[in-house]
This record gives sequence, structure tokens and C-alpha cells, in this order.
Amino acid sequence: MFNEKSKRRVLKAGFYLLSTALVAFWLIPLVLAFFTSVKSMDEIMGTGAMWAFPKSWRFDNYAKVWSSIGMGRYVLNTIFITVPSVLGTLVLSSLAAFALAFYGFKLNRMILVMFIAGMLIPFQMLMIPVFRFTDSIGLMNTRIGVILFHIAFQLGFCTFFLRNFFRQVPFSLVEAPRIDGASDFRIYWQIIMPLAKPSLAALAVLEFTWIWNDLLWSLVLLQSDRLKPVTLGLANMQGEFISYYNMTASGSIIAMILPLVFFLAFQRYFVSGMTVGAVKG
Amino acid sequence: MKTAIKLFAVAVIALVVLGACAPAGDKELIINSYMSDEKPKAVFQGIVDAFQKANPAIKVTVNTIAHEQYKTQLASWLTSSSAPDVVTWFAGYRMQAFAEKGLLEPIDTVFPGGDISKEFPAAFKVASSYQGKVYFMPQSWYWWAVYYNKDVFAKYNLTPPKTWDEFMKVCEVLKANGVAPIAVGAKDTWTTGGWFDLLDSAVNGGDFHAQLTGGKVAYTDPKVKKSLGIIAELAQKGYFIDNATSLSWQESVKPLAEGKAGMYLMGQFIMDTVPAETRGSIDFFPFPIYGGNDKYTVDTPTDGFMLPAKAKNKDAAKKFLAFLATKEQQQAFCDPLGRLAANINVPAPNPEAVRGLAMVKGASFAAQFYDRDAPEEMAAKGLNAILDIMAKPANLDTILADLDKERVRIYTK
Amino acid sequence: MTKAVFKKGWWVPWSFLALPLAVYLIWVYIPIIQSFGYAFTKRDSLLYKTVYIGFDNFARMFQDKQFFVALKNNLVWLLYFVLVPIPLGLFIAMLFNNSFKGNRIYKTLFYLPMTLSFAIIGTIWMWIYNPDAGFLNMILRSTGLSDLARPWLGDSRFMTGALVAVGVWRQVPYIMILYLAGLQSVPVELVEAALIDGASWWQRFTRVILPVLAPATIVSITISIIDSLRAFDIIYVMTNTKARAAEVLASYMYTSSFQYQDYGYGSAIAVIQFLITLSFILVYINRTLKAEQESGL
Repeated sequence: MFNEKSKRRVLKAGFYLLSTALVAFWLIPLVLAFFTSVKSMDEIMGTGAMWAFPKSWRFDNYAKVWSSIGMGRYVLNTIFITVPSVLGTLVLSSLAAFALAFYGFKLNRMILVMFIAGMLIPFQMLMIPVFRFTDSIGLMNTRIGVILFHIAFQLGFCTFFLRNFFRQVPFSLVEAPRIDGASDFRIYWQIIMPLAKPSLAALAVLEFTWIWNDLLWSLVLLQSDRLKPVTLGLANMQGEFISYYNMTASGSIIAMILPLVFFLAFQRYFVSGMTVGAVKG
Repeated sequence: MKTAIKLFAVAVIALVVLGACAPAGDKELIINSYMSDEKPKAVFQGIVDAFQKANPAIKVTVNTIAHEQYKTQLASWLTSSSAPDVVTWFAGYRMQAFAEKGLLEPIDTVFPGGDISKEFPAAFKVASSYQGKVYFMPQSWYWWAVYYNKDVFAKYNLTPPKTWDEFMKVCEVLKANGVAPIAVGAKDTWTTGGWFDLLDSAVNGGDFHAQLTGGKVAYTDPKVKKSLGIIAELAQKGYFIDNATSLSWQESVKPLAEGKAGMYLMGQFIMDTVPAETRGSIDFFPFPIYGGNDKYTVDTPTDGFMLPAKAKNKDAAKKFLAFLATKEQQQAFCDPLGRLAANINVPAPNPEAVRGLAMVKGASFAAQFYDRDAPEEMAAKGLNAILDIMAKPANLDTILADLDKERVRIYTK
Repeated sequence: MTKAVFKKGWWVPWSFLALPLAVYLIWVYIPIIQSFGYAFTKRDSLLYKTVYIGFDNFARMFQDKQFFVALKNNLVWLLYFVLVPIPLGLFIAMLFNNSFKGNRIYKTLFYLPMTLSFAIIGTIWMWIYNPDAGFLNMILRSTGLSDLARPWLGDSRFMTGALVAVGVWRQVPYIMILYLAGLQSVPVELVEAALIDGASWWQRFTRVILPVLAPATIVSITISIIDSLRAFDIIYVMTNTKARAAEVLASYMYTSSFQYQDYGYGSAIAVIQFLITLSFILVYINRTLKAEQESGL
């Protein structure tokens, strides 16, 4: 008993030591970006070391960036694009994944490979066909046009991802309601979806981050400044402030806040020990 | 907590639905502009505001797209059914390539007095026309010159060189004193186009250079080898700033302003990015005269506007272009930026521009710019070749041979 | 082939598949097929002048030195993307997947690199690689390793390595998330027990944990193959695609199509890139599906 306890203590110390070291190492670039974001331009240029600890903290850089490029509108625009895209992607891909994970039918494997193969080509190559297609159905320069594209382009990855995770669901959990005569859709919606919460949450976080950070499709499909997302705002800002490293850095940090909040909100589903049957020791 | 999250979710969804349904109005005048740098953007916005005031019935919207992205998207916009009404662009070959495909609307009538020749010099008419029709409204133009740091020159007792030999001596002195002689921001490949234009026209003359950019001379010609060989020589002597290929053109301004580099061959817009406190120490001189020639050559790119053939609001677009062509509005754009107006009635805005104008008038030859005088693909490959020469000067012959293969392929399209 | 739950009628799975499949076919496959069609033509990016030239673009590609530079760089990307982020991501996921206080904070912090757009990642890393004032060279110089300091993005020998490092930096948190999701079906005690019980650690790891993590591993490996072979953004942001020594297939097809206005050639590169990736993926997927079938999972 004592042995167990002290082992656990060593393990705990090891965990904190190793984790702290790892995180500290991995976040060096971000810490540097943060330092840069709170310095004055004079300090960045004057010391010749862009990475040094700030002498004076200029948090007003953030306010300046926010107002000078009208960040508020960009953030709202991005939310309008990202939220429906993520929702749509999750719904559609979970439907497809359910079919591919639980039904044996002739074309199953071929369709799975098809969903994967759609991801293989670098999307930059599709800029022109996609532009023409959206133009021809009259969705150019609308949010709906961008949202539909995000949903379609993320379907490949999400279907593949969910199909693999759905298969982890214990067979007995699916079989019992079937015997009780539940409909296929009910099993999908009331059994599988709740059980797949951790993977759905992980997927939602990843998708939110990607769509939030997308530049390409917004560039191709939106022209109006009124509709543009944060990434395009920052791209324009880099033209304006290219040599103002502090502005670029603080704009970047503002842009990462929402994906971070989203992660925080969803990460409780990644926490082990909360899953069914876990016994606290 | 849970209800709070639900409320938040409902609010977000409601916002999203409202937002997604917001109509994109089409009764407006839509201008797509690549002027994303702080200063030009503000000046242009001022002109748009003035137009808006004078024409309250037209709703003007300006969309600003960063330069590099703008270039990849323009072709798509021009072919789309929702083309913008006015777009910013470059005079010369780059405009004519679009006119050739019928993507532009002729705008002969928007100029003061209904004729471009009345208030615009003949050279602009040529660069703005395709097969006898005008498709381009030139707004401003500027010169390329060797910008240099006066303080650095004073410190080492240097004077602006007039000839190529003097120029090489200046480089030698700067190098010996630990100052990078020549700043380049070659991460933006187009910056090396200035070196190509000015060196080749200085060494081989303007006529030869025009033939070369027109695709009529081989890049393996001994004359080309001689002019581009000079770039190899500069690279071999270590006269270009270190890590030139990882710096953008704006980032390379910094060493010049700080006196860590002596000279920088660049367009007049370099002054937009020089920090205010060091502006006084930056000045320019014409590209040095080579060999026994008596005159120097210059690059004078012209920027302006076009009207897409598929634009929805052509009447308003023409009104706006006519507004931009007037002496007053050309002046309103060029004065704060220190550029030269295309309209001949606008005086040079400041002493610097007076000198720039005089410099251009005294030149034996003026090119637009490599990537505006040659087809895009040719210029892109040519610019890459110059980068390769800078990186591996010893491979000059193979680089030029490869480049000429591309020339043959591109022009036999 | 897969575990059949229902055999009520052939139309049942199709009713679930109909909508997603339709969206996918229309929005993804039609553009891809169009783009592949362009590979057999000579045309600029305005898509005017369509001239069918058969396999000429492909013939040209096999004599194009730059194409092989790009291909070689892609293989470097592939190698590092499979070898580094997957074991490291798994290790970190297991490390953070415990009941100790504060594990959420670690997870969140480690996830941060993923929340940045490529444009921003590129900008930050350019400050690190900056030859004079950059962090990396500063550290090397101040620790007496100044011989190792170099212009990381200015020297063609180190460029690809420097860019791959940035890619890996972002990929590890991504793989971590995939494994964290996978670890939810492993009771935490099992992981902790596996860590504590030194003797059978390896056995427990390979016999208990890895099989449960199979879905996450399959997704991770597949995604790493795909991401490494279509790498683009980091190269585009950090070199403007103009550093030709660091070019990969995706950046070369972009440069060809949009900078050189040679859309037919760019599309031909896309076809080849697609086929290369597909062959890697098919080999891998076939093996995993077979294993899946045999284990009856």
C-alpha cells in the first residue's frame, strides 16, 4: 500500500516536470510572439533582439489593432462562416460514417476510399473550378457559398475519422435496441451519437480551428470587405503594417482567442475518467 | 451554467442565420483595389469619399485585397458573372492580355474632353491602348532609381556615382567598411526585375532591351550574358545584402534606413515605408551609365484602372473613371504620395518629384517594368533565373540556356 | 466485410449516405475531375484557348528538373511527418491523459499552436529563423554553438528542414488531439497502471492500449501521409513559393498555374501528386481494412 502511494507520488512529480518542460519548449514561438505584441516598435528595433523580454508592456497595441483594422467586424464575419460550417459538417459526416461503419453493403469500401481520395489533392488546385461552379449557381460573394464549400471539403476527413471511431462502440450497445425494434435513425441519433461524444467533440474542435483559419476559400469566394473573415483582414493588415511586427503579433493573438475558447469549452470531453464505467481510485 | 451555454448557443445561431441571409446588394459601384498599404489606401479612400459626396445616388464600395493575392484573383473576377465595376491594374502588356480576350470595356470617352490625347502624354496612350481603343485609365506613375543613405555616403566620403565604374568603387568601399553595399528584398521576386531592366538597357541599349522583353532575342545572346553576368559579378563579390532571398522588399528597407546597407534599387514607393525620422537621410540617383554611353535608362511603371466587360454598373464606373481622370483628382492622389500624375496638367508634387521627372526626361530609354513588358510566364521565369544567378553565379551559362528554352516554348504557344 | 448490424434492405445505408455523398460528389469531385481534364490541355489560368495536347504535359514533367526537386522534398516531408509527430503525439496524449490536477491546462497550452493560421505561424517562425536578430541563431551564438548559426531560410541545404520543422511543430498537437479522443475508450487506471507497473509496461502498452487506439492510429497515419504530400501553406507563407530549392509538388503546381499562368501543366502536376498519394494511401488502407476484417472488430 505504502509502496503504491510513493510510486504514485514519484509518478506525479515526473508528470509535472516532464509536462512543464515539454509545454515550455513547445510554446517558445508563442511566447516570443506575445513579447513582440506588447513592445513598442522602438524597443523591437532598438535592442536588435526581437525575442527579448519586454522592458515596458504596451497592451494598447491590442486596442490599436482592434480599432485600426476594424477587427470586430472580421471576427463576427468569421463566426457567421465557421459555426454553420462546423455544424453542417458534423451532421452530414456522422450520417455517412454511420452507414459506412455499421452496414455491410457492396460498395462500402469503395465509398470509404472515395471519401479519403477527395482529400488527396491540394485544394489550391481547385480554386478556378470552384470559383466557376459557385459563380454559375449564383452564390459568389455570399456566406452560403463559402459555408457550403467548407462543409463539402471537410466531409472527407470527418467521415473517415468518425467511421473509424464509431466502430469502437461496443457491439452489444447497438444490438440491444435493435432487438427492441428501434428504428435505424433512432439508433444513429440516440445511441451512437451520444456514445461518440468524445470523438465528435475532438472533431468539432479541429474543424472549428481549420475553418476559422481558412484563407483560401474566403479569398476565392468573397470579394466584399463587408463579408471577409479575420484571416483576410490580417492578410491585408500585413500589407499595411508589414514592418510593424508588434501590430502583426497582437492581431495574431486576437485571432487565436476564439478557437481557444472553443477548445476550452469542448475539452471536458477529452478528459478521461469521465467515461462510462471508470472507477475513481 | 448549462442554461447560460444554451442561451449563448441560441444567440449565436440566431446571429448566424441573420448574418448568412444578409443580401449582397448589387445596385452599387464596386471597386476592387490592391492599394492595401496604409498610405495609398487612405489617400484613395479620400478620393472615393469625394466622389461619393458628389454622387449621392451611387453607393460606392471599395474592397481592398492584398497585392499578391489580388494578382492571383483578378483573372477570376474578370471572367465571373459578378465582376467588380472598376479594378486597379498596370498599364502595358499585363492590361493588353486581358483586352485581347475581350474581358475589358473600352473607355475612350471617360477622359477630359473625350480624348485621352488632350491631357495625357502620347506614351500613356500607347501603354493604355489595345488595337486602337483605350482600355486603361492611367492614374499615377513613378520612377525606379538607386536609393541611398546619405549619412552612410557622407561617413565614407562617397558621392553618388554617375558611371558604372564609380558605382563599383562605392560598393567596394562600403563592403570594406562592413556595410552591405546593395539591399535587395528578393523574397518578392519582382524586385530583381529592376536590376534586369536597368542593367540590360544600360549595357545593351533600350532598343535591344525592348526586343529582349518582347521575346525576339535569345537569352543566350552574348549581350544578355554580358549584362546578366554583371549580376553574377555583384553576387560573387558579395555586394548584395546577406539573406536577400528571405527578406521581403519592405524588410530590406530597414537596413537601408539604419545605415546597415548603402544602396537599394527600388521604385519611388520605397518612401512610403521609410520611417519618418530617417526620411531626411534617404535620397536617390539615376542608375549608373555603363561603358561609353552618354545617358542612363529608367523604369517607369504606370498604375491605373480598368473597366471589366462583365461589370454590372458600367455607367457609374465610367463616371468614376472620368472623375479620376480629372486634373484635380489626379493631383489629390499624387500630391500626398509624392508620385507623378499621368494627367499632364498636374505639376510634380514636391522637389523630389521634380527631380524624378527631370531624371525621366533626361533618360535615353524608359521601360514599364520587366513583368509588365513581357508575358507573365516569361517574366516569372526570368525573375527566377535572376534569383538563381544571385544564388549560384557560377552557373550563369546553364541558367541562361534553361531560360531560353522556356522563352522558345512560351512564345510558340 | 464490415460488421453488419442491419440487413433490412439495401436502401437503408444509402438513405444515410445520400445527402453527404451528393454534396461530396458535386462540390469536391466535379472540380477535381475538371481539374484533371485540364491536365491534357494547354491553357492559361483564364481557361481560354483550350487545345488538347494529350500527354505532352506529362512528358514535359518527366524532363523537368524542378519537378523532381519538388518530388524529393515531398518525400522528405512524408518521412518526417510519419516518423516524428505520430509517436510524439501519442506519447504526449498519454502523458496528459491522467487524473492529476492541471492536466487540462497542459492540454490547452499544448493545443495552442493548432489555433494559429498558417499565415501567422509562418510570420512567427520567420522571426525565429531571422539570420541576425532571430531567436534560433541568438541561442546558438550565446551557447557557444555559433558555428551552427546560419540563414535557415536563405540556404538551400537547410530550407526544407527548417520548413518541415515548422510543419511538425504544428502537427504534433493535432495528432495529440486524435489520440486524446482515442484514449477515451481506455480507462484511465489502465494507463496509469501501465505506467506504474514497470515490468509489464511494454506488454500492457502493446497488448492493451495500442489495439484500443487503432482507430486513432489509422486516422493519424493516413492524415500524416496526406498532409505531408499536399503541404503548401507553410512553404507559401515563408518563402513566397519562390525559394525553388524548398519547392514541393503543391507549391510547384501553384506557381505553375498562377505565377506562370500555365494551368494545364499545373493540373498535370496535380494528377501525378494525386496518384502518388493515392498509391501510398491504398497500400495502407487495404492493410488496415484487412486487419480489421480478420480481427472481427
